[in-house]
Amino acid sequence: MAETLLLDRRWITRGAERASTARFLLWLAPWVFLLLLGIYAAGLCLYYGLNQTNMDNRFAFGLWIFADLSVIALGAGAFFTGFLVYILKQEDLKPVLNSAVVIGLTCYSGAVAVLMVDVGQPLRAWFTFWYPNTHSMLTEVTFCISCYLLVLILEYVPILLRNRQLRKVPSFLVFEHQFHKLVPVLAGVGAFLSFFHQGSLGGLYGVLRGRPFAFRQGFLIWPSTFFLFVLSAIAVGPSFLMLVTATAERLTGRQLVQPSVFRKLGFISGVLLAVYVAAKAIDTYIWLNFTTPRVGFGPSDFYSYQPLSSTFLFLAMVPFGLIPAVLLIVPFTARRRGLLLLAAVLTCCGVLLNRFVLTVQTLALPTLSFDEFLKYTPSWQEVATFGAVIAYGVIVYSLSYRYLPLFEAPKGENKHVSLG
Amino acid sequence: MNARYGMVIDLDRCTGCGACMIACAAENNVPPAQPRATYRTGVTPMLVRKATNGQEGALRREVFVPITCMQCEEETPCVSVCPQQAVEVDKATGIVMQIPQRCLGCRYCMTACPYHARYFNWWDPQWPAGMENSLNPGVAVRMRGVVEKCNLCHARLHSAMAKAAAEGKREIDPADYVPACVEACPTGAILFGNLADEKDPVYAAAHSADSFRLLARIGTEPKIHYKSTQAWIRALAERSTEHSGEAQHG
Amino acid sequence: MFPWVDGFHWTPLHITFLSLFFSALILVVSTFISGAWRTFKDFRSNRAIDLCWRAEFAQLPEAERCCRHQLAGRLDARICDNAFDCRSCQKYPEFAALPARLPAGNAGIGYDDRLLYHRGHTWVRPEWDGTYTIGLDEFARHLVGRPDFVKLPAIGADIASDGVAWRMRKNGHEIRVRAPIEGTVMCRGGDGEGWYLNVLPHGTPNLRHLLSGAEVAGWLTGEIDRLQLQLAAPNATACLADGGALMPDLMDAELRADWDTVLAGTFLDS
Repeated sequence: MAETLLLDRRWITRGAERASTARFLLWLAPWVFLLLLGIYAAGLCLYYGLNQTNMDNRFAFGLWIFADLSVIALGAGAFFTGFLVYILKQEDLKPVLNSAVVIGLTCYSGAVAVLMVDVGQPLRAWFTFWYPNTHSMLTEVTFCISCYLLVLILEYVPILLRNRQLRKVPSFLVFEHQFHKLVPVLAGVGAFLSFFHQGSLGGLYGVLRGRPFAFRQGFLIWPSTFFLFVLSAIAVGPSFLMLVTATAERLTGRQLVQPSVFRKLGFISGVLLAVYVAAKAIDTYIWLNFTTPRVGFGPSDFYSYQPLSSTFLFLAMVPFGLIPAVLLIVPFTARRRGLLLLAAVLTCCGVLLNRFVLTVQTLALPTLSFDEFLKYTPSWQEVATFGAVIAYGVIVYSLSYRYLPLFEAPKGENKHVSLG
Repeated sequence: MNARYGMVIDLDRCTGCGACMIACAAENNVPPAQPRATYRTGVTPMLVRKATNGQEGALRREVFVPITCMQCEEETPCVSVCPQQAVEVDKATGIVMQIPQRCLGCRYCMTACPYHARYFNWWDPQWPAGMENSLNPGVAVRMRGVVEKCNLCHARLHSAMAKAAAEGKREIDPADYVPACVEACPTGAILFGNLADEKDPVYAAAHSADSFRLLARIGTEPKIHYKSTQAWIRALAERSTEHSGEAQHG
Repeated sequence: MFPWVDGFHWTPLHITFLSLFFSALILVVSTFISGAWRTFKDFRSNRAIDLCWRAEFAQLPEAERCCRHQLAGRLDARICDNAFDCRSCQKYPEFAALPARLPAGNAGIGYDDRLLYHRGHTWVRPEWDGTYTIGLDEFARHLVGRPDFVKLPAIGADIASDGVAWRMRKNGHEIRVRAPIEGTVMCRGGDGEGWYLNVLPHGTPNLRHLLSGAEVAGWLTGEIDRLQLQLAAPNATACLADGGALMPDLMDAELRADWDTVLAGTFLDS
């Protein structure tokens, strides 16, 4: 039976197979190191000021804002899977729901942590709530993300309370029983909040009249980037969830969910990605032919600078857009795990590229006629802080997998998988 | 009546000496640069930039363009994006005001400004021992982590208003309110005044055929005008794809 | 944020935005408060222990949730759907009427015909004065041996059916023994006494859920089989003895076993 030495056996769900404590600690060690390094870097920034970064007056937003937007897009799987399961009644996705919540929680809490380092005066963060400017997309983002982080924490609580030892506390067990009946309400509110903040993160750039590269027209107060960001977020969410689940399966050596879950996530991702690519194509056409000429800017103002140029646009639309969309939809891919995961990776790359283009490329491009194209490289403190967020996500996910019933597998049926 | 303070900067007269920048720094208690500072991390509410006509050799022409906050009037980009209402347009003067004590340092306004006229305090302000005696008592020092920009020497406006009030007058004497850069310019290239007052010389200058505003097509209605008799300089106003767009920083 | 704070504007956009935000926030916080309130009410109305037990029961593997009538041979295969609570089971009268078919031979462990047994390996004996004595059955005693530490409830304390009756510790493992019936603790025994608690139930207790007589043999046979499988050597093929008696002091024997799983399965813990 239990040959592996598990010093923490009492904390692990009965009957669940886990790696030995030593192997688990060995797995955690490099991530903990990365986390500590990042915390140190963040500490330097908080103590000495943001001069520790390579951001400047022209690159006011840098790696961190790109990182924030990216992890929030990738974490969209949390709200979207909840929406699919509880609102659209797609019960067969239930096995990945807990995993999605953990991913969402780490993505959002990590993003908020980085934001607290990114702003010049973190202790004033509450000012946005006290003196909100409802015209500003950033106010919208702040309110929605804070509220949604609360939702994610509350959605994680029942998962946490299913830990073997925590269940032994009667009040925890009864609370978990009562509270998890209310999770559909949270899922609904979460979907509402997420729609707005995913969109507003796009809206941040779409409203910038002073940056014709980012500026878009749209519907009422919302620029087209608002809707494009929501679309791309719900397209990449299931893909990223697929990637994390597949990675977990490979690392633990057991099948965690039915293959049909992968196929379904992939299909949903593919359809949404296809819609996104089409919408983006239309949006790009309108933007280049109507919006920007009005203010005296043209494609050469955006696409004639190496190394970025129009390559990024092509990459975003075809290799990272159309191709993975088609791959995820066609039945040929559905039965081939490797191809499915490749398509998921390409989807993630596409969305990350899109976030990069809007955050960093917008600032690199000149506006005044005598401006030049600018370059920016993040400092090690910025990279380390970003690395800490990734490490934090891996650590929390690993701990959650080890000590909590993350995947609702039937008792004793965790098979070993032959991978290939 | 509400004023609309603005400027007309004569680019034919600007020699790029940078006196306006020094005066601005002195007036606004800008601390000396730290060892790792670059030309992109300084607090320079007035910044003189250089533009060329893109030609080389005998055909090369250069011009110095002092850039300051354009005091945009229409859908002011930095006002609408600030998440905690730390920026607003003062209706009485038309000046775009910033509240440093409310600024979170999110730098969204810096992204929004098409003129790159906003600057972040990347360091804590520090002066060598004894230099703090040279600080201007009328202007508060800003802490690190907040954004700042030109506010048309608002402290000097306050002094002018206080002086007028002491003399029992309702309107300030225009001669009492002169921003530091205007005062320092040796060639008198910067003309400052109330654009709402048709009798003010700045009004006529702003409406002359030679005057232009940078990126006026974006539609933010800046109140800082430029003028030049040379067509190639006036063409700098808008984005032009033929222009090579070389620039250096003064 | 609020009307009296600087920066509040009575515009449709401002009011709509803040209304939506406050609505969402209030909804989120209310779900938490609602959950906490319902929990509080469950404890107040003494439903909490039963809820806990049912939640624990749902986590047990299928093999440990056999209906007693299957163990007694009345049915071929049935998984209990009521957390072993025969007292409230609708199907009980129907199944109890069927003929029992019990396994032949010795169960491998002794039991007393006069006692009533709980699935968590405790026995109950009605006393002449209306109290009930609770003890640990031979299976559990052979498994645990002499416990290192026993923590009994105080006299006058209440124990709830399927809640925790008393706790023991053996070789660093925490054991929570499930209470077979509810009642107020009148006397405390211990490992050496042969019994652990003597309780006075509130009113006349319903003991339908307890096993008695030949049924116990069927149950214990299954338990011994489970024990053998759980104590099997790690890479050995599982095999079941077809005779012999269970050794005493198993936890003190030189066995490399997942005692956590063994104890959890024996005492119906997760």
